Amino acid sequence: MSRFETGGEWVFRSNGVTKSYDGGKTYANRDISIEVHPGEVYGLLGPNGAGKSTLVKQVIGLLKPDSGSIHLGVHDLVADPDAARQLCSYLPQAPMPIESFKLHEAIQLTGEIRGGDRAAIVKRANEMIEAMQIEEWRDTLGAKLSGGVRRLVGFVMVTVVPGRVVILDEPTNDVDPLRRRLLWEQIRLLGEMGASVFLVTHNVMEAEKAVDRLAVIADGELLAEGTPSSLKIADRGCLRLQVMLVPGAPDPPFPPMVRHHSRVGNNLISTINEVDAGDGIAWAQRLMSDGVAEEYALGAITLEDAYIRLTGHVSEENAEMAS
Amino acid sequence: MTTDSIAIGPPAAIRAGSTHWLRSLGAMLRWHLTSMRLVFPVMVVVQMLVAAGFSIGMSLFYVEVSPTTGLYLATGAAIITLILVGLVVTPQVVAGEKEAGTYDFSWSLPIPRSASVVAWVILSAIVSVPSMLVALVVAAWRLDVTYYVSWLVIPAVVLVVVSGTLIGYAIAHAIASPSLTQLVSQVLAFGVLGFTPITYPLENLPEWLQNVHLVLPFYHMGVVVRDSLTLGVVDDVGLAYSIVLGWTLASVLVTGLVIGRRK
Repeated sequence: MSRFETGGEWVFRSNGVTKSYDGGKTYANRDISIEVHPGEVYGLLGPNGAGKSTLVKQVIGLLKPDSGSIHLGVHDLVADPDAARQLCSYLPQAPMPIESFKLHEAIQLTGEIRGGDRAAIVKRANEMIEAMQIEEWRDTLGAKLSGGVRRLVGFVMVTVVPGRVVILDEPTNDVDPLRRRLLWEQIRLLGEMGASVFLVTHNVMEAEKAVDRLAVIADGELLAEGTPSSLKIADRGCLRLQVMLVPGAPDPPFPPMVRHHSRVGNNLISTINEVDAGDGIAWAQRLMSDGVAEEYALGAITLEDAYIRLTGHVSEENAEMAS
Repeated sequence: MTTDSIAIGPPAAIRAGSTHWLRSLGAMLRWHLTSMRLVFPVMVVVQMLVAAGFSIGMSLFYVEVSPTTGLYLATGAAIITLILVGLVVTPQVVAGEKEAGTYDFSWSLPIPRSASVVAWVILSAIVSVPSMLVALVVAAWRLDVTYYVSWLVIPAVVLVVVSGTLIGYAIAHAIASPSLTQLVSQVLAFGVLGFTPITYPLENLPEWLQNVHLVLPFYHMGVVVRDSLTLGVVDDVGLAYSIVLGWTLASVLVTGLVIGRRK
């Protein structure tokens, strides 16, 4: 695979993008300004309904901002949706309409629609099918594929001839853990080819490993932006103390050392200073001996703690674990 | 585009021009035909059966028919088939896409919007024209009529397919709710089948409805197609052509506005 020029001419810039519904009563996006460089994997992270999908739909021209601009290099993507569709590839969150396509047909045809050369598509499609380990379903109709394999086929369809911007809305949904890893490798390769990858996700743990930079969005607003490490800076010198409460137990009284905390189900996540580690453990052990908690874990601060601090939400996968 | 040293990768320039347009049209037709390949043959056969059933039904309804009435009924069945496919099937397919959530993906593909529309019109013709032929053949057999086919059959059929499909297309894209789209297309089908003077003369309707039909395209669609298949059955063909042409242009315009619109 060749490397493409990744000069400044393909920088993505959104400036003050605002989008409202119901005649301005509800804001899906409010004043979103971001800049993404070729080769970057850029995460858009936020709870469901935060406005992530609305933002990327404005990039690809499915929706139009109320105000603000979106540029890719010299191209004004709001004014020229035809250019937006050619320059961006888009994997929506919804399932792909490939029931009557054989796996390889769906990829080949989308590649041709995306303007690729027929022989080059065949070559790259085969490479990607092999890399994702989905060869055994090459000639299977989409209707007979599992949700996870269909998701991967969707990914190959939109990236066999990638856009300058590749928008992936929850690409790992339904994908098994092994192939998830393979998918991340392919996403990284897109960056190496010179594409800017927009990764829309509510899965904080995955995002932490996969993205170069990310934006945290909630209620339509950009709350923070930066590398995963830079978002954790505010929590530097802190630890994460996770306590699993006995089902139905009320919140215990929090000692002053707990900087902030949140709870999903019976899962209590709090942030404490490193120097309070001993006291924190003692507090958690006391909760266990009082019969309020079942177990606890003390660990390094993760992106999720920054995410909780910023959005007030516990990420979905943690919510699922807790329930 | 790509160079020799670069096998494949992000686009370097925006594609435009007639080659891009034609390539896109071809690709989109293949996309639709493949995505409908499980239902498309069934759809064509069902439409043919409906057309044949319609012709047979008419022949059963009227015990004795004069040659002129026979021609009227025979061509009426064919014309209704031709109109209904575009008007009803198009909104239903688009509504289905919206319901399944796949509309965003098809609409995000880098195909010129005009090529997407033309692909739909061609698909609509692939279903409706054979159905119309079946209707004509079955009706000729049951009602014992002879057609006089003129070259005008080509522009007449093209105008009816284009305007019928585009009206359906504009409805499908203008209405956000899939169930409302389904409802509107059903009402249209009902109106065209029952209350449009295609299988019976205009004079049989109350005067106010006659006036409505002098403005709506359906009656005139009937006139232009019937004129191209018969001799001396219809008059005022010039007026009918100008009204159908007007509706075709209007439907092209409205479709252009609807597909160019972003919420």
